[in-house]
Amino acid sequence: MEEIVYIQHTVFPALMQGLGVSILLILPSAICGICLGVVTGTLHVYGSPVTRFMVNGYVLIFRGFPLIIQLYIWYFGLARIGIFLSPYTASVLGFSLCSAAYHSEYIRGALLSIKHGQALAAQALGFTRIQTILFIILPQAMRRALPGCGNEIIYLIKYSSLAYMVTCIELTGKAKILASASFKYIEVFMIVGVIYLFLVTLASSLLSRLEKGWGRCFL
Amino acid sequence: MTSDGITAIQEGFFYLLQGSWINLTVVVGAMVFGFMLGLPLALGQIYSGKTTRSIISIYVWFFRGIPLLVFLFLFYFGLVSFLDFNLSAFSVAIIVLGLISSAYQSQILRGAILSIPDGQMKAARALGMSDTKAIFYVILPQALRISIPAWSNEYSILLKDSAVTYALGVSELMSRANHVASRTYQHLHLYLLAGFMFMLLTYLGTRSLAALQKRLKIPGYTH
Amino acid sequence: MDPILSVENLYKQFGDRPVLSDVSLSINAGEIKVLIGPSGAGKSTLLQSINYLVPPDSGRILLEGRLVNGADKRALCGYRQQVGMIFQDFNLFDHLNAVSNIEIALIRVKGLHKIAARQRAMAELDRVGLTSHANHYPAELSGGQKQRVSIARALAMDPKIMLLDEPTSALDPELIGEVLSVIGKLGQAGMTMILATHQIAFARNLATEMIFMEAGKIVEQGTPDVILNHACCVRTREFCSSITDLTSNQ
Repeated sequence: MEEIVYIQHTVFPALMQGLGVSILLILPSAICGICLGVVTGTLHVYGSPVTRFMVNGYVLIFRGFPLIIQLYIWYFGLARIGIFLSPYTASVLGFSLCSAAYHSEYIRGALLSIKHGQALAAQALGFTRIQTILFIILPQAMRRALPGCGNEIIYLIKYSSLAYMVTCIELTGKAKILASASFKYIEVFMIVGVIYLFLVTLASSLLSRLEKGWGRCFL
Repeated sequence: MTSDGITAIQEGFFYLLQGSWINLTVVVGAMVFGFMLGLPLALGQIYSGKTTRSIISIYVWFFRGIPLLVFLFLFYFGLVSFLDFNLSAFSVAIIVLGLISSAYQSQILRGAILSIPDGQMKAARALGMSDTKAIFYVILPQALRISIPAWSNEYSILLKDSAVTYALGVSELMSRANHVASRTYQHLHLYLLAGFMFMLLTYLGTRSLAALQKRLKIPGYTH
Repeated sequence: MDPILSVENLYKQFGDRPVLSDVSLSINAGEIKVLIGPSGAGKSTLLQSINYLVPPDSGRILLEGRLVNGADKRALCGYRQQVGMIFQDFNLFDHLNAVSNIEIALIRVKGLHKIAARQRAMAELDRVGLTSHANHYPAELSGGQKQRVSIARALAMDPKIMLLDEPTSALDPELIGEVLSVIGKLGQAGMTMILATHQIAFARNLATEMIFMEAGKIVEQGTPDVILNHACCVRTREFCSSITDLTSNQ
């Protein structure tokens, strides 16, 4: 009985607060990540040789460095050279840039898979290069990149827990603090696990619904 | 690149390199453990009855849905207090990464096995092979070859995840970088060094798997 | 003298579609029975039901007078070793070269020693004329060569009867001859066979009996001459007249 009271009055409010911070981390990072990913992915395919080289370097490094090191660089590393970011800012920056590198590769793959005939037809109708990319190629590519990008967002939901390591106290951080104080590690982390499972499952089902809906317009 | 920074890098280089050995051990241990669990799970999901398949699906959903950090804390602080003996952070790291990897590897293997035309199984059965023999001698040799690129990806992910075990105090590459950084105050340089070391390890691992794939390649085989 | 194989009252449904309806036939040693009929008649399903690759819903199958028990897995494997099967798409094991394809069942199913298995495999390969291709992988062989290897693979098991499911349907025209020649020699050597094929001219010369199937039922069976020229049933006559038109133009 005591346990349940404890859970209701102490654990839940704290975890809900942590969940709020997590969502505040995930949403902006996902949006920035996709937008930046679309831009860099497109540049990777259609840019000048120099641009393509730079994007390639970006993708290599941001997919090659572990996310936790990237977060540490933004928060602790930059601090050493005089740039002080809040834990929240450093986390969102880190998540966005890392995520975008993965999205970029999915978009790039999707763009390359669109048949060349599509671009030819557009040009024959008088579309400029940019118009062709924006209105003909990219919409089709986004549909094909959806499973990959959707998956990446689900990874983001899970990796948002790393924000705790740069002292941004989100769901996992709150749980750790609560559990350290009460020694009820198993109970608290099981609840946290269930919350993440819920978030991930929700995101997955939204994703499949989006895939099916969008699929009716394109092949 | 300041001179302090370069000194710090020189100081920490071999210390970090030794730490990378721990990362590799954790990764290989987790991949092997993940395979030993993942293969029966994959076979169960394809060839077993409905109840077994549901249980396996739940297992996969569970281990793919919860963040690594949560599992690490849950196992290290939570379950270990449950048991009587003490597990080192290193062991917990391998077990947790292995369990999560088994969920992903089961899906990799399942996809590979399902991609093999069912004529192969039919021909094996027609020759009088039992299902077990058919799976072992005809299906798996092909499925394992098909899985190598996905394993390359899994290795890459596991290597980056091994840096998170720093949270449990495992003395691997990331934690050593932190250690030297706090001594020398050259955080940026050391984290960059650590990052590039991870990249190098990833490259070496994926190159090796690509070479393995080439060695095992069957002339003209396409699936 | 028991027939080598007896099939009694086989039924099979996929969903609510009956694919085999009360099919019965029997075949004696050395006989060659050819199944003909339109696509979807159930010829493939019948052959695959005989060796339980597609388990029938009801009916009995007897090999040399002994009932086959579909529920007993070990007995089923033993039974399948005695029934050779040739598939339309060959189904060679893609990860093994030609001689290994033949060896593998000898080693893993029959338990032969590696050296003995290799000798037998090379002998069978020689029988179908492909000794020079022993170390080639399926992807490196032509369709006709693949089918000949698959025949060698089945023969290496010393089957009592061979089931051939449209063995030349997936082959380019110029490769059909080499496979038919191997099958013809097998027949002359006395192998008991049930063969489903569209190659009517070939079948007419080889077959002891022809069986016309349609919509999962055996409509009529008899000697090639009777079936092709003087059939009793209307449908048989319709089918045969349309195909003999084709074959007479060849």
